[in-house]
Formats: sequence, C-alpha cells, structure tokens
Amino acid sequence: MHSAFDPHSPQARAVAHLWWSMFAVGGVIWIAVIVAMLIAIARRGDVDFGGRKRGLTIFVAGTGIVLATFLAYDFAVGHDLAKRGAPTLTIGVTGHQWWWEIEYEDLRPSQRMVTANEIHVPTGQLIEFKLRAADVIHSFWAPNLNGKRDLIPGYASSQWFQADTPGVYRGQCAEFCGLQHAKMAFLVVAQTPTDYLAWRTASAAPHTPPADSIAATGLKVFLSSGCPLCHTIAGTDARGTVGPSLSHLASRQTLAAGTLLNTRANLMGWIVNPQALKPGVHMPAIPLKPAELNAVVTYLETLK
Amino acid sequence: MTELRREVDVAELPTVTFGPRSLMWWGTLGFMTIEGWTTAILVVSYFYLRQNFDAWPPLRTPNPSLLIPTINLLIMLVSLVPARLAADAGKRLDLAGVKRWLAVTSIVSIPIVALRWWELWALNTRWDSNAYGSAAWMIVGFHTSLLLLDVADTLGLTLFYNIREMPAKAFSDTADNSFYWYFTVGIWIPIYLIVYVGPRIV
Amino acid sequence: MTLPADVIEREALELDRVWSDRQGFWGWLTTTDHKSIGKRYVATAFLMFVAGGIEAALMRAQLARPGNTLIGPDRYNQLFTTHGTTMMFLFAVPIMTAMGLYFVPLMVGARTVAFPRLNAFGYWTYFVGVVFLYVSLFANTAPDVGWFAYPPLSGPEYSPGHRVDVWAQVVTFTEIAALVAAVNIIVTTFKMRAPGMSLNRIPLFVWAQLVVAFMIVFAMPAVATGSTLMLAADRAITMHWFNPAEGGDVLLWQHVFWFFGHPEVYIIFLPAMGFITPIIETFTGRPVFGYTALVLSNITTAFFAFGLWVHHMFATPIPEVGQSLFTAASMVIAIPTGVQIFCWIATLWGSKPRLTVPLLFVLGFLFTFVNGGITGVMLASVAFDKQAHDTFFVVAHLHYVLLGGGVMPLFGALYFWFPKVTGRRLNETLGKWHFWLFLIGVNLTFFPMHILGLNGMPRRVYTYLAETGWGTLNLVATIGAVTIATSVIIFLIDVVMSLRGGELAGDNPWNSSGLEWATASPPPSFTFLHTPFVTGRHPLWDVKDGLPVVTGLSTRERQVLVTTTVDALPDYRHSMPSASIWPVYLALCMGVVFIGSIFSPYFVLGGLGISLLGLLGWGWSGVGERQEERVALPDGAVKVL
Repeated sequence: MHSAFDPHSPQARAVAHLWWSMFAVGGVIWIAVIVAMLIAIARRGDVDFGGRKRGLTIFVAGTGIVLATFLAYDFAVGHDLAKRGAPTLTIGVTGHQWWWEIEYEDLRPSQRMVTANEIHVPTGQLIEFKLRAADVIHSFWAPNLNGKRDLIPGYASSQWFQADTPGVYRGQCAEFCGLQHAKMAFLVVAQTPTDYLAWRTASAAPHTPPADSIAATGLKVFLSSGCPLCHTIAGTDARGTVGPSLSHLASRQTLAAGTLLNTRANLMGWIVNPQALKPGVHMPAIPLKPAELNAVVTYLETLK
Repeated sequence: MTELRREVDVAELPTVTFGPRSLMWWGTLGFMTIEGWTTAILVVSYFYLRQNFDAWPPLRTPNPSLLIPTINLLIMLVSLVPARLAADAGKRLDLAGVKRWLAVTSIVSIPIVALRWWELWALNTRWDSNAYGSAAWMIVGFHTSLLLLDVADTLGLTLFYNIREMPAKAFSDTADNSFYWYFTVGIWIPIYLIVYVGPRIV
Repeated sequence: MTLPADVIEREALELDRVWSDRQGFWGWLTTTDHKSIGKRYVATAFLMFVAGGIEAALMRAQLARPGNTLIGPDRYNQLFTTHGTTMMFLFAVPIMTAMGLYFVPLMVGARTVAFPRLNAFGYWTYFVGVVFLYVSLFANTAPDVGWFAYPPLSGPEYSPGHRVDVWAQVVTFTEIAALVAAVNIIVTTFKMRAPGMSLNRIPLFVWAQLVVAFMIVFAMPAVATGSTLMLAADRAITMHWFNPAEGGDVLLWQHVFWFFGHPEVYIIFLPAMGFITPIIETFTGRPVFGYTALVLSNITTAFFAFGLWVHHMFATPIPEVGQSLFTAASMVIAIPTGVQIFCWIATLWGSKPRLTVPLLFVLGFLFTFVNGGITGVMLASVAFDKQAHDTFFVVAHLHYVLLGGGVMPLFGALYFWFPKVTGRRLNETLGKWHFWLFLIGVNLTFFPMHILGLNGMPRRVYTYLAETGWGTLNLVATIGAVTIATSVIIFLIDVVMSLRGGELAGDNPWNSSGLEWATASPPPSFTFLHTPFVTGRHPLWDVKDGLPVVTGLSTRERQVLVTTTVDALPDYRHSMPSASIWPVYLALCMGVVFIGSIFSPYFVLGGLGISLLGLLGWGWSGVGERQEERVALPDGAVKVL
C-alpha cells in the first residue's frame, strides 16, 4: 500500500523498471569488484601489474559505456515521465505544518470543494496536482503512483500521475518540515470513474442540518467553542482556514493527517488531547464537558 | 636509526625573500582567494535575487547615490600610490622610505573607512527593507570587514615601525601588506560598478 | 659524506631545546607544534565521532519499533540535527584535515606546517564550536532543523529562539578552522617539500590533502556565505535573503548550501583515498599501480564535485534541461573513482599481501564503498531520485559512502599510523574483532534501509505507524547499530591499552616507504634532525647507502627549509614563530563575536575590539629579534643586514 516496489501507475512503473535494471547491472558490478578483490589477494604467483596500462584504458572505456547506456535509459524514462497529455482533472495540494489541504477546482462555484489529507482520484485518467506551500517546504510523495515533488514557498510546482487500479495508496511528506514531519501523511483513494463521481457528488453536497438532537447540540457546541476559528464546515458558520476543513469528515478514513484511524474513540481522544497523539501539533486541547464532547463527536460523525 | 648521508648544505641560503618566494606571500594569496570567492558568491546571489524583482532597485526605492561612493573610490585609487611606494621601499630595504610611505598609506586609509559609513547609506535603502536591500548591504558590509582588517594591519605595521626596531623580514611583510591592499581596492572596483552604478544602467 | 654520531647527538639536543614546548599546562595551551595540535585535533574529532554515534544509537533505539515513545519529536529532531552537524562539521572534515595537518609535514619532510600559529588558531576555533554545540545540546537549545537547515523552516518565523542560531554559528567555527587548515596544507605542500620531492614524487596521501585543501577553499565560502552571512542576518537583523514575501528566495539557500554540501562529501572521501594508497603499498611491498592515474583521478573528482550540487535538488522546480547536465556530471564522477579502485586492485593482484588490520579495513572499504558508489550513480537519475530522495534509501547510500569510503579507511589509517604518533602499536587481535564487527554492523544497519526507503519510509521521522510494515527492518538496523557501537568500544579499549602497554613500534614497524617513517616514533619535537633529500617516490625503499639529508639549517632557532613550488629546489631558510598564547586568545575572541552575535550586535563590536588587541599581540610577538639576516632582493642580489 505504500511502496515504490509496487507501482500502480505508468509513471511509477517506468521508474520501477529503471530501478530493477539498475539494480541488476549494479549488483553484477558490485559482485565483480568483490570477486576481483578476492582473487587479487588470494592469487599466488607474483604477477605484477606495474607497467600494464592497457587494462586501465579498457576499464575506463568499459565504465564509460555502462554509464552512457544508463544515462540514455535514464533520459528516455525522464522524457516519458515529462511527456503527458492534458490532465482530465486538476487538484490543488497545499502543504501546511502538518497536514494537506486538498482543493478540487471547478468552474461552477457550487462544485468547488476543499478537503484534507485524503485525495480521491478516478482511475485511468491523468491527474495533475498543483502544489503550493503555506508555510515551510514540504514534499508530496505517493510512491506507488509517482516520485516526489517539493512544495516550496514562493514557487509553484506540479506533479501528476494516472492510477491504474482502484485502491488506497499511502503518501507522506518527504521534506523535513518541523516537529511533526513524521505524522504528515495522506491517502490517495483511486476509484473507478463511476465511484469517483459518486464520491465527488456526495462530497460537494450541501450541509444537512443534523436531525438527531444530540448531533444538533453538537453543532451548537462546535460553533460556540473555539472550533470555527480554525476549521470550516461548509454550509455552517464555521469558516476557519487555519486547520483542515471538516466538511464530510466522517467520510474520511483517517484523522490528523494519517495519524489515526477515523473511529469515534480516536476522534474523541484527538479533540480532548491532540498533543498526546501528535506532540507539537498546532491544534490546542479543547476543554469540553463529557456530554459536550459526546455531542460534538456525534455531530461530526454525521458529516458523511 | 637509518644512517644519514649529507647530500646538500643550505647554510648559505637567504633567510628573507620577497613575493612568491616567501611563505607569507602565499598565505596572503590564499586568504585573498577565499575572500574574493566569498565576494563572488555574494555577487552571484545578488543577481539571483534580482530575478525575483520586476524593477531593480524595487519600486519606490531610489537608485544608490553616486557622489560619496565615487569620491571614496577615487581616494582608494589614490591610496594605491603610497602603498606601492611603501612596497618598493621595502624591496630596496629602505627603512626611512618604508616608514614614510606606510605612514602616508595609514593616513589615507582613515577617510576611506570614515566615508564607508555614508557609503552604506548611499545605497538609499535599508538592509531590512527587502531582499534588494539585504543583498546590497551585505556585499558592501562584507567588503567593509575586509577593509577594516587590512587597515588594522597597515596601522599595526606602521605603529611597530615607529616604536621598535624591526627585523629585516618586516620589509617583506610591508610588501605583502601592500599586496593585500591592492586586492582590497581592486575587488572594490567591480563591487562599486555592480552595486552603485549597475542599477542605473540596466 | 656520512654524518658522525657525536655531531648528530649535539644537534639533536640543540634542536630539541629550540623546538620543544614548555612543560605543564601553559606549554600545552600555547603550543604551535603541528604534531601536538594534530594529535588533539584527531582526538577531539574522534570524540565527536563517538558523540555523534551515541546520538545515532539513541535514534536507532527510538526507531527500533513502530510508535515507540522513548524519545519525543522535539528531542529527536535535536538529535538527528546534532548527529548530522557533528558528523559532517565536527568529525569528518576536521579529522581528515587534522590527519593532513599532522602528517603532511612529516610526509614532505618538513619540520612543521607553513603557519604554525594559524594552525593552533584553527584548532582552538574548532574547539569553541565543539563546546558550543554540546553545551547547547545539554541546555535543550540544540538545533532542530536538520544539518542542512532549509529556510523558511530555519528562518526567524518558523524557528524562533536560538536553536538555529547555534547551528549557524557552529558551522562558522568549522568553516574558519577548515579554511585556515586548507591554506596551511596548500602552502606547506607547495613550499616546504624536502628537496628533490618534485610534483611527480609527492606521496598520494599529500596529493589527496592538497586537492582537498583547494576544494575547501572553494566550497567552504559558499556555506559561510549562506549560514554566517545570509541566514544569521535574516535571523538577527531581519534581512530578507530567504523571505519570499520581500523578494528573497528559499532555493538560493539550497544552491549555496549544496554548492558546498556536495564537494563536502569528496572533502571527506578524498583524504581517505589518500590513506589507502600507502597502506596498500606497504602491505603488498610494491609501488602502487598507476600513480599518475591516481593523481589525475583526485583532480578530476575534485573538479566534477563542484558540478553536482543540483542533484540534491531534483525534487524542486528547476528546469529539466539543467537537471540532465547534473545527472551526466554525477555519473561521470564515477569514472575517476572507478579508476582508483582499479589501480588498487591491480596493485593487490597476486601480491600475496600481509593481511594486517589496516589492510583489512581497506578491503572492508572496497566491499562497502562500492555498494555506496553504485547507489550513488542510481541517485544521479532524476526519475529514480524522485522516488528515493529524502528517504531511507538515501540514508543507506550516504552511510555506505561515508562509513565505507571515509570511516573504514580512517580506521585503517589510525591502525597504520598509530605507531608513528605514539611509538606503540595497536593490538592486532582486538583490531580484527573491531574490523569484523564494524563491517558486519555497518552492513546490518544500513543495508535494510535501502529497502525501507523504497518502501516509503522518509528520512527524519521520529516514529512511524505499525501499519507501514517498516518495523522488522528497523529492528534489524537497530541491532546493526548495537554491533557498530560494540566494535567502536573495542577500538577505544584497544587504544587505551596500547597507549599504556602496547608493543613498542620502532621507527618503521611496517617497513613502509614514506618519509614519515624516517624519523623516530613518536617524532621528536623538531620532527626531522635533518631535512631529508628525496630521490624517488618511495624514499625509504630507495635508500641505498644511508638516507640522503640536507644540512646547514640553524639549530639556534626554529628554522625550516623553503623550496621551490614545482621542482622543490632549496630556496631559503625561514624562521618559524615559537609558542604563543595569541592563537588561543583570538579563537576565544571569535567565540565572543559569533556566539555573541546571536544575542546582541554589541557583542560583535566588542568582540572585534578585543580581537584587534589580539591581532596586535599576534603581530608584535611574531616580529622577532633583530638579527643578522641574508636578504634575497627581488632582483636576485643577496644582501646581509
């Protein structure tokens, strides 16, 4: 689920092929050197190389040929990776300390959508990611799908891939970005185009006020405590942009940028004491009474 | 212990030499290389940052003033004369000449240091205004540290010559001191052109 | 003519009186003897290796299993930053230049380095940096943004407090120390070689040091500019070099840092290559195959090393055409390295070498380093690098290169030259234990990291989730780290025991060929009774009827022979300064200036003020007494004053 050895896109596959061929050639060279070294010290008979310079010339030429071949192969792979058609979908990815803001662009404002830490993509289509950094440098990397690309303040960059098969692929920030660099992961959920459209429609659906009374209380508590200062829930008065958007939170698989599974218990633990689970995270502990906590979590769980 | 066999005797060789024959000259050259290279890296960085700006100097920042920097450049060029005369006197082992021209070099170096203060403000920006200001101040500031070091060296040598008897190798040191002064002045010329004149012409 | 024994004895006494230091602490503090300085330099740097190793062991303990809570992120980030900073800036570069500062004069037949007081100043400046970093670590203000300190994370906005300032200034001290060492090594090699040691007879150890000294001159100013000038100014006086909001540029940092950072690897690696040749020559008993090829390899490696820095930035948005050039350069550099390995194997070929501990470490180097070299070529590929960059694959690669290509030859060198420095040999049996455990430990620790990296484990993470499946290989790596630690402990025990009661070595215990073996072990204060006269590349093997030497240097002052740059013809007699407190004083002034700069600009002004006094004192005490001098005027005439 998280490995460059297990490619699930043409991009990652090209690199994996390159890797395995380099591994084979490199392995042979390494063994050859070790064998030569062992023969050199074990060999009896006082053969003195002194003066025979032709061996050196042949060696240099041989090394040159191997490297030139490798270089040509590498350039070919690089050329293929850089060559691409028009993307069918463009997704904005902004790196924050320590979470990912994911933005689905759309010409229709009602279909514009912001989520966090989980990227849904349709399979078989080329997806482009527009990468930006909100604070420090991060690096966007889902090894099963493509290599990494840095998100750098002051620079715009992009990365792309085309997922072959439906599946959940883990990715993680690869550029050291401070205290919680270790817990800045994301998921790429590749779905068949049909499933993807269903998800997309559901995720752009407007907020439905909670029917359940506990959940309704939860929304009130949510709005009256500190939560909306940082978080957005589309369709409510919560419009903070400091932390990840919580719209449709319940549909996500993980919490806190891939740190925890999205379960009721984990969500409660996270709200009560995020510092214990992700020390240094910018979210403060939210002092809620048990009943309030229960209500808030019940409400958040309705955000499918 | 291995037996020792006399191959050559060096008792008649000199004990003081000038220029590339002496160790000190090479050491001086080494530090010039380091300082010159550091300046070059700063200048390349200055141009690198320039790519981020539509205008250079940035909008609402005036061009650097030229009056004080040009005056100071002229004084620096003039100061090469006594520095050269001091080196020549050293190479003739002319004690009186060395003392005289070292003193003149020292006196000329004082206004150079003093004017440097106004020269910094002649950049017409502050180091913390924007990246342009940072780069310009840093280049001139770094050169100022070289300048101060060299002036301190010259003043120290002048002082020593006037308060104690100096050995013959100090003649060679005097020549090296001038060598370093040529470098300090020489490297200022491109800095002057890039930092003070450059923004006006490109 | 053979020199009579009584003359030799008298001269030795006179020379020792002139060259030796005063007894006691003051003499120790003020010494300018390159051998004393070299020894304490190597010892301090090795202590830093141990310190960096302890930090590594703590990190390995934390990563041994997923979700471990032994060390939290705040401490962990300080640990890996201090580990990297220590190993690169306080261990690897200093120990390699320190080996040069000790041995280059011995190998070129000189009594000391070109600038002995500058040498002492360099050591003490480095020492201030060492103390500063470790006081910070224990005060919980150690840097925590990585040894590369990328802004904006290292800038004033995202790293308030003084942790990054500590990093920027520790780097400053190492830069100064490395630069003065480089100037010393260059001038010593150019001007102080024994007569007859023309360029084509310079030992390969010295060639490597010379090439590296030039690399330091052109690489260190880049990081000095980046850290001491730009980053420190951004943090202390709100400059905007790396602030995109005011036209600054964070990639500028990466350019200046890696313009230094990549040559840095070769600054560590090439001296190690210099250790290997004499070890192989000695234990095969034959001259190395391809002297000229090896010299040219050193020079081409150094040249290309400055054309690779962008391969650390393949994941950044820089033009792809530019990247291709750097890929090509990164691959080409494999050729000179391959040539060196070819020459060594050719030298070993059928030589029936003596398999002593130094040679074992050389073989261990081949086994380990070639692996790191091959992964290095792989990483030159932009496409592959985008997968491997900033993962444990790179951690594996760089440790294979630095431990295999730097530390293994260094251990070989320590076993090889320990007898020269101390007069006693290290224990061969303990040495073999050390070697095998180290070899196994290095491979056990770092081989699994290749797989971890491609399995998605990024660098610089203080923990990972169990679901990632990285637990087993991390545990293996931790076991490997314990093995490495054991081997180093064995080495330390060996050093302590051998210093007390090791077998006495004699002048030339290995029957080696270099000039350093022509004097006593340990060398006397004046190093060589007479400057040797060189007639070939292997002076001690070339000796027929007694070592040819130079006479006529004064025994009444610290006089050395200066020779011409290319042919090493005797040129003049130069008087060296004696012991001095000013190097220590000035190094402390640098401490006030740079450490003080963190807190207030007034410390800079005050520090510069007291430095001025130091410069005057340095100059005054160096003037020396007026005495009869033979002055060679620029026109060639010699005048007696």
